[in-house]
Amino acid sequence: MVKEIERKLPVVHVCTIVPISLTVGANRIVPAIAIPHPLGDPTKTPEEEKAIRRHLVEKALKALQTAVTEQTVFTD
Amino acid sequence: MRLELHRIFVRKLAFGAKTGVADGVLTIDKKELLSLVAEDERLGKNIDADLAMPGDSIRIVPVKDVVEPRWKIDGGKGQVFPGLLSDVETVGEGKTLVLTGAAVVTAGKIVRFQEGIIDMSGPGAEYTPYSQTCNVVLLLEPSDPGMDKHEYESACRGAGLKAAAYLARCCADVKADKVEAYTCANIKEAMWGHPGLPKVGYLYMLQTQGLLHDTYFYGVDVKKILPTVMSPLEAMDGAIVSGNCVSACDKNSTYVHQNNPVIAEMLRRHGRDFNFVTCIVTNENVTLADKRRSSSFATKLAAMLGLDGVIITEEGFGNPDADLVMNCWKAERLGVKTALLTDEYAGRDGASQSLADSCVEGDACVTAGNANEVIVLPPMKKVLGVLEEANVLAGGWKDSALPGVPKDSVAADGSVTVELQAITGSTSELGYTKLGAKTI
Repeated sequence: MVKEIERKLPVVHVCTIVPISLTVGANRIVPAIAIPHPLGDPTKTPEEEKAIRRHLVEKALKALQTAVTEQTVFTD
Repeated sequence: MRLELHRIFVRKLAFGAKTGVADGVLTIDKKELLSLVAEDERLGKNIDADLAMPGDSIRIVPVKDVVEPRWKIDGGKGQVFPGLLSDVETVGEGKTLVLTGAAVVTAGKIVRFQEGIIDMSGPGAEYTPYSQTCNVVLLLEPSDPGMDKHEYESACRGAGLKAAAYLARCCADVKADKVEAYTCANIKEAMWGHPGLPKVGYLYMLQTQGLLHDTYFYGVDVKKILPTVMSPLEAMDGAIVSGNCVSACDKNSTYVHQNNPVIAEMLRRHGRDFNFVTCIVTNENVTLADKRRSSSFATKLAAMLGLDGVIITEEGFGNPDADLVMNCWKAERLGVKTALLTDEYAGRDGASQSLADSCVEGDACVTAGNANEVIVLPPMKKVLGVLEEANVLAGGWKDSALPGVPKDSVAADGSVTVELQAITGSTSELGYTKLGAKTI
């Protein structure tokens, strides 16, 4: 899906297993938390989870606005 | 380490007054078996047991696990299924009685889409190894319909282990038809042994994604371990137990852990084609950090042991493919050659990418088949369980709009159209299947 959308629009792939994202050819990759809960963490409080979520979404938006020349993983 | 498997061959099952075996017939006191299983208050009043023999017109659905009846009859500190059914002492030594040809099948709705089908005859029987065993089928239900699924899974898992141990324990006084002795050298002897032969290990990946995708090693939830070494003989005594609710085709049942064909073949060829040094048990977890840690640690152990090569088997598919691939390239870059055993999800036409991940180092790979292949299973005279569950199994469907397949998996006449994914053990990534391929 990432590849198909990117024919028309830039895409950020927020995903847990970065190596798979690299293998399938995503260009902008933001690492997520875990496979069953990519944007949250059930061991944290709801407030902490919201902070995690906001951080990841903001990072993804920033990645979307960043020009890339090769596959790029956006780490902190 | 030395382990003797005292095999009693079971060719027939019957219910009777006393549990025991004679002349290849395993007689089961149904009342005693069920009262033993019913000791767990998490199981309901309507649990039942039935029998399914190879060739019978019987479909078992939904199947959770399959367990081989075994019981330690002499020697060794430990007893079968350590840490779950028995105390935590080390197994893999002494004498273990095996009711070869018999199996306990646990059936009942748990996660629903991640249980499977066993057909005892017809085309489906070709795809499941458990059509070849004389099956004691436990039909289970929770005492409370609203019971937490983890609790119910634990109860069903316990029921299978308890029944399997009970059946073998009741036959403890019967002389075995065949005794097989296995020995396993310690690491010091293994290092010096068989000069000139390559040192080979077995990297044994276990499904541990949580949310009911769990495997237990000596009772420990494997997602919580760092990779560790295990004697191949420990697996034969049930050190590894499946608690898995994953797609039926490549779920490694407790039965295949007890009868792991990779271990059997490596032991057979040990000292002739290579020096089989040890097994390394590892997990398949759900964060990238866990995957990186476990693959680095497991391959480090292989390198520390000076292994020339490892066979790596996967369990499940999708993100575990990333664990498989990391294990592969990390081992190769440490100078440890790899051969991989997996299966494929290549779409119903076989044209899609087979694995979710890949690496150039993975140039020796064995497949157990394409789980998306569609099969039609004709009606059976008897169903043990709930036939309609085939509509919700992974590999089954309901209200499909796709061309070329019926709307629902289960048809009015009792036939079932499903992907091989729904058949228990059909694409076993330990290679425990009857089917193979040959180049023509």
